Amino acid sequence: MSNADELLRIEGIRKTFPGVVALDGVDFDLRRGEVHVLLGENGAGKSTLIKMLSGAYTPDAGRILVGGEETRIQGAQDSERLGIATIYQEFNLVPDLTVAENIFLGRQPRRLGMIDRKKMEADAEVLLKRVGVSVSPRARVRELGIARLQMVEIAKALSLDARVLIMDEPTAVLTSEEVDKLFAIVRTLREDGVGIVFITHHLEEIAALGDRVTVIRDGKSVGQVPATTPEDELVRLMVGRSIEQQYPRERADRGAALLTVEQLTRDGVFHDVSFEVHAGEVVGIAGLVGAGRTEVVRAVFGADSYDKGTVKVSGAPVAKYDVNAAMTAGIGLVPEDRKGQGLVLDASVEENLGLVTLRSATRGGLVDLKGQREAAGRIAGQLGVRMAGLGQHVRTLSGGNQQKVVIGKWLLADTKVLILDEPTRGIDVGAKVEIYQLVNELTAAGAAVLMISSDLPEVLGMSDRVLVMAQGRIAGELSADEATQDAVMALAVSNPSTDKEASRGH
Amino acid sequence: MATDTLKSTTGAGGASGGLRRLLLDNGALTALIVLVIAMSALSGDFLTTDNLLNVGVQAAVTAILAFGVTFVIVSAGIDLSVGSVAALSATVLAWSATSAGVPVFLAVLLAIATGIVCGLVNGILISYGKLPPFIATLAMLSVARGLSLVISEGSPIAFPDSVSHLGDTLGGWLPVPVLVMVVMGLIAAFVLGRTYIGRSMYAIGGNEEAARLSGLRVKKQKLAIYAFSGVFAAVAGVVLAARLSSAQPQAADGYELDAIAAVVIGGASLAGGTGKASGTLIGALILAVLRNGLNLLNVSAFWQQVVIGVVIALAVLFDTLRRKAGATPVAGASGGGKGKQAATYGLAAVVTVAIVGATSFLHTGSSAASSPKMGLSLSTLNNPFFVQIRAGAQAEAEKRGVDLTVTDAQNDASQQANQLQNFTSSGLGAIIVNPVDSDAASNSVKAADQAKIPVIAVDRGVNKASVDALVASDNVAGGELAAKTIAGKLGGKGKIVILQGQAGTSAARERAQGFANGLKAFPGIQVVAQQPADFDRTKGLDVMSNLLQAHPDVQGVIAANDEMALGAIKALGSKAGKSVSVVGFDGTPDGLKAVEGGTLYASVAQQPSQLGKIAVDNALRALKGEKVEETVKVPVKVVTKENVAGFSG
Repeated sequence: MSNADELLRIEGIRKTFPGVVALDGVDFDLRRGEVHVLLGENGAGKSTLIKMLSGAYTPDAGRILVGGEETRIQGAQDSERLGIATIYQEFNLVPDLTVAENIFLGRQPRRLGMIDRKKMEADAEVLLKRVGVSVSPRARVRELGIARLQMVEIAKALSLDARVLIMDEPTAVLTSEEVDKLFAIVRTLREDGVGIVFITHHLEEIAALGDRVTVIRDGKSVGQVPATTPEDELVRLMVGRSIEQQYPRERADRGAALLTVEQLTRDGVFHDVSFEVHAGEVVGIAGLVGAGRTEVVRAVFGADSYDKGTVKVSGAPVAKYDVNAAMTAGIGLVPEDRKGQGLVLDASVEENLGLVTLRSATRGGLVDLKGQREAAGRIAGQLGVRMAGLGQHVRTLSGGNQQKVVIGKWLLADTKVLILDEPTRGIDVGAKVEIYQLVNELTAAGAAVLMISSDLPEVLGMSDRVLVMAQGRIAGELSADEATQDAVMALAVSNPSTDKEASRGH
Repeated sequence: MATDTLKSTTGAGGASGGLRRLLLDNGALTALIVLVIAMSALSGDFLTTDNLLNVGVQAAVTAILAFGVTFVIVSAGIDLSVGSVAALSATVLAWSATSAGVPVFLAVLLAIATGIVCGLVNGILISYGKLPPFIATLAMLSVARGLSLVISEGSPIAFPDSVSHLGDTLGGWLPVPVLVMVVMGLIAAFVLGRTYIGRSMYAIGGNEEAARLSGLRVKKQKLAIYAFSGVFAAVAGVVLAARLSSAQPQAADGYELDAIAAVVIGGASLAGGTGKASGTLIGALILAVLRNGLNLLNVSAFWQQVVIGVVIALAVLFDTLRRKAGATPVAGASGGGKGKQAATYGLAAVVTVAIVGATSFLHTGSSAASSPKMGLSLSTLNNPFFVQIRAGAQAEAEKRGVDLTVTDAQNDASQQANQLQNFTSSGLGAIIVNPVDSDAASNSVKAADQAKIPVIAVDRGVNKASVDALVASDNVAGGELAAKTIAGKLGGKGKIVILQGQAGTSAARERAQGFANGLKAFPGIQVVAQQPADFDRTKGLDVMSNLLQAHPDVQGVIAANDEMALGAIKALGSKAGKSVSVVGFDGTPDGLKAVEGGTLYASVAQQPSQLGKIAVDNALRALKGEKVEETVKVPVKVVTKENVAGFSG
């Protein structure tokens, strides 16, 4: 309490939800000018903890002290008044307002009752400069990429004169270049005396940025260690056991080509994309965000249309822009946006698992509900989905278990070619390894896996071949041996279109 | 003390845990039970088999519509067109069976097909035209209503007898509409729970993109979902028309909102993904119990609307609270949560009872048991004319010591049928009816006749059923008078427009007949336009403004009531009373004021308070078994500036 540098102290916080004790005795403190990393598996209680600080939840027991004084944070206004700003994984921005309007939302400078646009935009300009992002204050937020959205969020936090900045997995959606930029900004803020609570799953970021680390496991704080602690030790603290191998890829025998994509083109988005994926093979697609990776796999799956090219499965062409044709051919897609595109969040585990097989389980318009339940129970057991029962809503599952459900529905449909788009984004280390094991089982059984990932170590660790995309084209292909971080990055930032365009004489 | 009681309540809850669980899992059911208990406590007539079957019948149409809407809402859509589609389907059935001579069996199929086609059009606009469901179905609401008016030419069409049996009872007690409701409910539950399309509805409503990426053919499913809604609307329309023995082009107006309310009260979310047929049924029953109970309790028609709105909000509010609070005890939280919850429910019950009690107390005063009871069902109270009928009737009732219940059918024939049914089942001494529609009231009046309750019609007659007396102004004679007055003013030469009343009402028909008869004697008068403005002031203003664009040189206006005349005067602005003469009908206080001010040249004055007074007088006589005249004509008079002083209202 005597420590003048202490911004925030949490003592013995407890919070329960229906059927779950989310937090049970968490201690945490934050000093001026430090980056305090909050580490823990998904479902450990990190999100619940920061929601207490942002006023979204109130604790059932325990104390929160801000600047040495005990406070109750009842809502967003309280936390704003206390100088606590939070940047969530899902951004709180209004897409159709401008950057400046978003930064000053609800606090727009006024003159004679009218919004003083000039002043607002000038102020926004200053803030944007401070976070080092070149974006016009008059640009609509809808038009911005994900990295810039995050910068706008940070600018918004700065505009509140935040003394405490909470960042919930800010790097999960960024490319490594963007991550570097973010780190630079965070370091500047630290020098300005802001206390930063930083949540991440990337252990290497801890050493690069953090000062102290508090590890949370099963709703309890299990330790506070310096950021220089070795990664093995951090993992052990986090999962309560040591994980032997982060990327346990087991090569299977390579069979015939299952998926063949030839000259796939959608004007202005991707061009002349050709590749093959063989049975028993994991092919990774690396590249920067915006390189067209997701667009290509969505087109292969029939979720979007394309202008030229063909998609074949086992040599037979698949009709374009037809999800059902792709499914019938044996393609499955685990989409990038798990919650938005992969799951019906307020439906049960059983219903989500049965979604793909719903049609085939229907006879004369009637669904074989009993068969569906048995199948769901079998696959949930096989995947080790941790749940209260098949009736539990998937919204209440942790990220890793949600992802298992998305993958599970395709396994039920006997998918031969499984496309995984960012399969482990926002998933904790333990669950990641389980998903990798699943990929191993699939390829061992003769399926083909095409995996997009922005997590370079993951692509390198799990792929048998790596395709690197840049600017809508395949910039190059690397075998597992050739694929290093440097090699991939070199291709990812290359400009594969110029020479080809020139040679065609457009 | 209070906390003690709460604790003991929760303690008892533990003993009867199963029931408590059931109630907690279904907030709407709890609300229904609370309502039923409150109603039975407040009215002795409520908890009788007859009356409960009444409630069932009255819930039937809303429930069947709502089952269809449940499909749509579960899939995160909305269907505003169901009321209109119901009216259109019934009109198609009646028209094809009577006017076009199609066999009844085929006509029924045609009606169902109409529902399917309307639903498919909705679905196509939404799936392939990418219109928001709200807009697509709003358009269909207007189109279907318009088509049913076009087909029926604005008048009700008698329903084929064989289909009308759908409105009867089986074995003399089980009403067929209730049976149809139950069957459709079971179908809806089956579709939602067991079929491919039903499970797809939940998936699409929960997350459309995830459903699409899981191989569900979302666009095609949506066509089917809206088509299903159309089928249910068609069935509801047929049931509604069967009850009234007549297909009304204006039937089920606004029912889409009742249906949506029923679905939401039943626990569905407008965001999609949740909802059950059983919940929807309960929602529809809550609305019906409210309307029925409030009728029985003699709550003022105006207050009824307030109460219904409050209860809709409360029902959904408590359901939300329950979901929030209901989850807490599972986590083994302290008794505080449970106590809070019990308090919530206690509060819900107390508030409901208090509102119902207060409003009924407000308007019954002390209900002396000895005084004769009567019911007056007015077509609407949205018009001063009928308000004056009520005033005259109430004054006379008070003078003669009669306990008079007044209800407002809001120009909805089936709501009136419900009210008359409630009157009959609560054993009133006599019923006074001011029919919304002369054909549609016949079934209900027949039922009252069977129960040996004397029925007096006021202002408008009842077709195909015997009433003890009709107390009415002579509309045809009044129409002739209006025509003569305007012709006299214009010197037998000039251009005039006629604003007609609401299509399908006898007053509109008879007055139009009177205008035509009267104008025959004046060949110099040219009628340049005749348009309906539904007896409504705002519509009178709009229609007149439009007509003035086409006929700026018009010299006279005949309006079939004063409200429309006053609207027309607004449209005419400074011309009114100077270059254009307006003649109204009814002699309402506002109308008479305008006559005094010179903007309205004349009004054919009825004496609405006299109508009410004489109706009560005749009802009393019929009740006592005295002889009453079959038709009691209350004279009409032309009121101009010269004699307006004598008509103070």
